[in-house]
Amino acid sequence: MVWVNALIQGILVGGFYALFACGLSLLFGVMGIINLAHGDLAVIAAFVALTLAPAAHVPMVWSFVLVVPLFALGGYVLQRTLLQASLNRSPFTTLLVTFGLSVVIENVLLEVFTSNGQSLNIGTLIADSFNPTTTISVPYLSLVVLVVAVVVLGSLQLFLSRTRTGRMIRAVADDREAAQLSGANYQHLFGIAAAIAFATVALAGLAYGMYTEFSFDAGTANLLFAFEAVVIGGIGSLWGTLVGGIVLGIAQQVGGQINPAYQILAGHLVFLAVLVVRPRGLFGVRAAA
Amino acid sequence: MAPLLQLSGLQKRFGEVRIADGLDLELEQGAAVGIVGPNGAGKTSLFGLISGDLRPDGGDVRLDGRAVNRLDAASRCRLGLGRTYQVPRPFEGLTVFENVLLAAQQGAGTRGRESHAVALSSLDRTRLSPDANRPAGSLGLLARKRLELARALATRPRLLLLDEVAGGLTDPEVRELVEIVRAANAEGMTVLWIEHVVRALVATVSRLVCLAGGTFVADGPPQEVLESDAVRAIYLGSTVAVAT
Repeated sequence: MVWVNALIQGILVGGFYALFACGLSLLFGVMGIINLAHGDLAVIAAFVALTLAPAAHVPMVWSFVLVVPLFALGGYVLQRTLLQASLNRSPFTTLLVTFGLSVVIENVLLEVFTSNGQSLNIGTLIADSFNPTTTISVPYLSLVVLVVAVVVLGSLQLFLSRTRTGRMIRAVADDREAAQLSGANYQHLFGIAAAIAFATVALAGLAYGMYTEFSFDAGTANLLFAFEAVVIGGIGSLWGTLVGGIVLGIAQQVGGQINPAYQILAGHLVFLAVLVVRPRGLFGVRAAA
Repeated sequence: MAPLLQLSGLQKRFGEVRIADGLDLELEQGAAVGIVGPNGAGKTSLFGLISGDLRPDGGDVRLDGRAVNRLDAASRCRLGLGRTYQVPRPFEGLTVFENVLLAAQQGAGTRGRESHAVALSSLDRTRLSPDANRPAGSLGLLARKRLELARALATRPRLLLLDEVAGGLTDPEVRELVEIVRAANAEGMTVLWIEHVVRALVATVSRLVCLAGGTFVADGPPQEVLESDAVRAIYLGSTVAVAT
């Protein structure tokens, strides 16, 4: 039964990884930007909620109503300014710029919020769970996050495949110049893609802040898990990112069941195994271009 | 009435290579004009300058009397400028229909049913309808060339820039293509066509220009241009007698 529980916990935490990795996958898939500041953005979202929600008298569980639109707007603006400017130079520049952004964000957060651990207080919801047997426990918060991850990734997939804007985003991802010749303004579309990516990373950051204590430097460690989820699932596939997150989550929980010290290691090993056996990932459409 | 396309004093150089050295050209509405010239003369770069992929070092590009120098390729497309690439560049992850639909929506600014109608008609014209739901990445060369043309047609351009659409095709395929372009021209679409397959050009255009060394060394009716000394010198491989 402990193994069944490990599997269930793995799927639940995998939902969080997928939600977290979604924006990373999108930025890389559409613009070819590897956003090294992705994890730090999530931490900013948590800090913003920490500050804004009490000030606006909004219960913490509803803080996404404030934070997500703010992040979408911020994503659009950042893409049209800093990120676009670095893209115009070279893909390598975006790597340096987002790395620099990550350093700046962490230090500003340290300056403003000190190095104290914080958490987003959601009252008793943090401890409430559904317990079908004595060994299996499904925390409601984790379940909600998993559902949110599936809904976000699913609607994003639908958006990209069925709508006019989604189709254009896929076209500019494919060939920016040729898309321009069909009348598509790629800079605006990149902005929209970044807005979506930032909105999802805000959700992930809030979920993270509700789960656990966070401080200014929590982003970097989480960035690694997001990367692993994207690579395991396959670059360019959103469903792949969901599966990648869940595979990573299960590997960690099962590893942790064997020996608590193996939890993180087991995730890394599965990640390496996927790289060796199937470098394009489980659902990768093609090798990274 | 202003000419549909007017180039005046267009300048562009890449290092020491001048691909446009004060180019002047006027295209009347409804014209069909061919461009020939030796490899590396800068024919494709000239299209880049007109469509907005490249920035000129000097001079003007005017569409319908309006200077478009400051507009990017997407805005020029919406003003009625369509272009095909020499090496087709379909959106490989989209289906053939989606490729064309996107052009109809963005380039031609259509919505809803109208965009579907425009997309379907340009697939029909280029005989791609049977392949409409295939991913564009799975198409062979001929179909890719057709898709390139279909996508340009779906933006409903007033001026269509064709870059070697006949290259690498068999004779019957070239004839079919010439028919498509002639039909579009007959409906009033202005055509500017770079082509090495000269018989395809001669069958379609009423005027031919030859680009070499950054200038138009010949301009006139196709037969006259092909028989002119300047063009013969280039195509027979002797020293290019071009003023520099």
